Amino acid sequence: MSHALDLSASFQASSWRRRFLQPLMRQRSAVVGLVIILAYVLAAVFAPWLATHNPTAQDLGAALQGPSAAHWLGTDSFGQDLYSRLLYGAQLALIIGFASVALGLVAGVAIGLAAGLIGGRTEWVLMRIVDGLLAFPELILAMAFMAVLGLGTENLVYALALSFVGPFARMTRGDVLQVKSQPFIEAARLMGVPTLAIIWRHVLPNVVSPILVQAGMRVSIAILLESGLSFLGIGVVPPTPDWGLMIAEGRGFITIAPWISGVPGVALAILLVALNLLGDGLRDAFDPNTQKDA
Amino acid sequence: MQETIFSLLDVERVYTLGTTGWFRRKTRQLKALDGIRLELKHGDTLALVGESGSGKSTLIRLMLGLEPASDGRVLYGQHDLAHLDAEARKRFAREVAFIYQNARGSMNPRMRIADILAEPVRLHRLCEEQAIPARVEALIARVGLPAGLLQRFPGELSGGQVRRIAIARALAAEPNVIMADESVAGLDVSVQAQVLNLLRDLCRESGITLVFITHDLGVASYLCEKIAVLYLGRIVEQGPTHDILSTPRHPYTKALLQAFPRFDAPLCASLKGEIPSPVNLPKGCRFAGRCAQVQSACLEVDPPLTLLTPERQVACLFPVVNPC
Amino acid sequence: MNQVSVLAQNIPVESHAEASLLEVRDFSLRRKKATVLDRITLSLSPGETLGLIGESGAGKSTLAMALIGLLRAPEVEIEGSLRFRGTELTALKEADFRRLRGNKIGLIFQDATAALNPCFTVGKQIAEPLRRHLGLSASACRARAVELMQSVGIPEPRLRLDAYPHELSGGMQQRIMIAIALACNPELLLADEPTSALDVTIQAQIMELILDRVRALNSSAIFVLHDLALGAQVCDRIAVMYAGQIVEEGPSERVLNAPLHPYTQGLKSCVVELGMPTLTPIPGQIPPLDAMPNGCRFAPRCPKAQAICGEQRPETQTRDGRQVACWFID
Repeated sequence: MSHALDLSASFQASSWRRRFLQPLMRQRSAVVGLVIILAYVLAAVFAPWLATHNPTAQDLGAALQGPSAAHWLGTDSFGQDLYSRLLYGAQLALIIGFASVALGLVAGVAIGLAAGLIGGRTEWVLMRIVDGLLAFPELILAMAFMAVLGLGTENLVYALALSFVGPFARMTRGDVLQVKSQPFIEAARLMGVPTLAIIWRHVLPNVVSPILVQAGMRVSIAILLESGLSFLGIGVVPPTPDWGLMIAEGRGFITIAPWISGVPGVALAILLVALNLLGDGLRDAFDPNTQKDA
Repeated sequence: MQETIFSLLDVERVYTLGTTGWFRRKTRQLKALDGIRLELKHGDTLALVGESGSGKSTLIRLMLGLEPASDGRVLYGQHDLAHLDAEARKRFAREVAFIYQNARGSMNPRMRIADILAEPVRLHRLCEEQAIPARVEALIARVGLPAGLLQRFPGELSGGQVRRIAIARALAAEPNVIMADESVAGLDVSVQAQVLNLLRDLCRESGITLVFITHDLGVASYLCEKIAVLYLGRIVEQGPTHDILSTPRHPYTKALLQAFPRFDAPLCASLKGEIPSPVNLPKGCRFAGRCAQVQSACLEVDPPLTLLTPERQVACLFPVVNPC
Repeated sequence: MNQVSVLAQNIPVESHAEASLLEVRDFSLRRKKATVLDRITLSLSPGETLGLIGESGAGKSTLAMALIGLLRAPEVEIEGSLRFRGTELTALKEADFRRLRGNKIGLIFQDATAALNPCFTVGKQIAEPLRRHLGLSASACRARAVELMQSVGIPEPRLRLDAYPHELSGGMQQRIMIAIALACNPELLLADEPTSALDVTIQAQIMELILDRVRALNSSAIFVLHDLALGAQVCDRIAVMYAGQIVEEGPSERVLNAPLHPYTQGLKSCVVELGMPTLTPIPGQIPPLDAMPNGCRFAPRCPKAQAICGEQRPETQTRDGRQVACWFID
């Protein structure tokens, strides 16, 4: 009530900026995360132009070199240019991270919505399937899946996506159940709003933001898992420029050429931190519990 | 003769409570409403009054078709609410509006006020798409709020403003009947007065039929021409507001009146104890346990709602003769 | 503004000040530059009941919180004095305050369900202040708890002693709160909207109970209320608050039956009484704390406001046995 005056003044801003950008921009750490991620995305997109070498070109004569003018970040044991591999690796990491989360999100949200809205036996069956998926840790599930499907980038995306279906489905169902019991849903029914319109206009907008926040956090998990699987040798196939592979490859030379593992390791760590910062920021900005009209 | 809008014929609402034992399942019956007979005519303003647990909210949910009656019939016009076809259901949704006690909770927090008010208009195709903004502005002006609020979200409004928006939304579909659950409870007196005046003006100007749930007899007397007093799922007294307030005939009504805070009388805890659970109802009058003038017959006979005058009914074996 | 407060401090302490239980003098409380409470002056004699009345945002609950030391520096900026039995509360350490709260000052909150701990039996919760402040043994605590529960009208107290709060009704929970508040025979009872979550019938029972117990212990009580009629019924004196100031204070029958301040008059014309023909709401609403008008804070909503009201704050005057802060008292 006491904000009546200043609110109307700030009201000029367009609705999108007011709803999404402004609350997000108020979270300083989220902005830092966003900037770092943007830098990674730019690096990935422009990798063909930024790279100094072919990322898979081997030059055994120049193997295990430290950073130099020719090879800015040094070379690995096959003489491949680490800087170029890092750029293409970013491309791969981001594609796998976002694609697997997007796939998992679509499937999980669909299952969660169906379970939460239909209820009864359908819900029971769907949720038992989800329980089955959730019974395995993500890494184990993805490993098993890779073992069945075989190696390769595409299969890695499916494996990771599968491991995300459970969490998304469970979360969506919980939110739907909670929103469904709110008086405004009953009020809409009482006004005669058709069921589909209730789902579209009243249920979905109220469950979507926690799901998106969760998706933001999951991307970092996906990238970590992807690198982990590749590190273990059951992810993408060498010589694809992949950070996990690069770290694994440099393991044997960690004492004489620490940059081989160190460079992709640091790149991975920074990206993960940035993604988590953004995820936390998204949560703080859109969680109704922390959202206050300032 | 005015047109009858709602008639409730011996309506009963029973909830079955299951207590799961290890070997057998016991069920108990909770009678939230028992033998409600009520008639609502066009233009009536009726207050349902009683303590919490008296069944007021259950009664209004039944009248809205949100819950089925376990026994008896709820008629809207000539139609049984339990057997409305799609066409009639749609008409009912337009003609009967409900204002929730939790006004803020009854609005989608992610919709702007403008969209909240436009929803029923659009839904029932009450006007052309281009005319909707003007219509929404007229609605918000009608409840005395500035059009600037239309772009806000419900969470940004004060308690009094949200209640007014809830009223505006109820009006949006141009209903014949408005039902409201404790729509002024918890508001500051000056805001409460504004909302009450608004509701009263609306009923007087547009001849809307109003059913208002309240535990506050003062609010009931200000808004409504008729009062029905509920106790443990039953109407114990019913009649014109003025008569009920000046000469309450049921001891429960009298006690409610005495407990109502007033400037010119000392504090009076007129009722002992609390409203009992409706699970194990006593044999006789259900108010007997708290009644100040209970007699032995009250413990044996369950008094039916009987006519005192053509307009007044009371369910008491020994109606109060001397007013308070 | 500073000048005025200096003047007020120079007023010689009146003789009755010694006798009063609680003495609030020019008490101001600022939070983030906004003056939440503005030069509150009040006194409460032993055995007296005082009602703080006003709309939400008037500062009633803030004043109550400050009185029991739940709002203090550095969280907020405080000026002026609060004396309880001659002890200056604003200078008190937290540990000393803790000795006072629940012991010499009993507290009753609006929402008993939230105020009672769901993990402990009501018997344990009643025993807590007895053990802490009076150092009673476990068995003595139990005996006294039963006694207290009996005194607040709980049937079969011995059985209810081991009940958890959720097993009791709202009215019963409020009775437990009263028992806890009165456990150590406090000299001052502070009740913040003790009955606004209850039905009128239960409200009357609870209010009667509180008054009865307060009188039996010869304690004083401060009620924070929004219901004027209830205030008239339970309080000896009424202080009407508006936007952090006391605008009118005096014996309840005079303040409420023949209010002098336009705000009190306005409030009274909004109260729904039985068979009342019309209500006249006060136009507008309490201004936000960071945009308070310079002069009288009520001026923008006042039907009698004139030029001076917008410029200068009216001094509190004694009129007809009460304190009124208005430029134009009829």
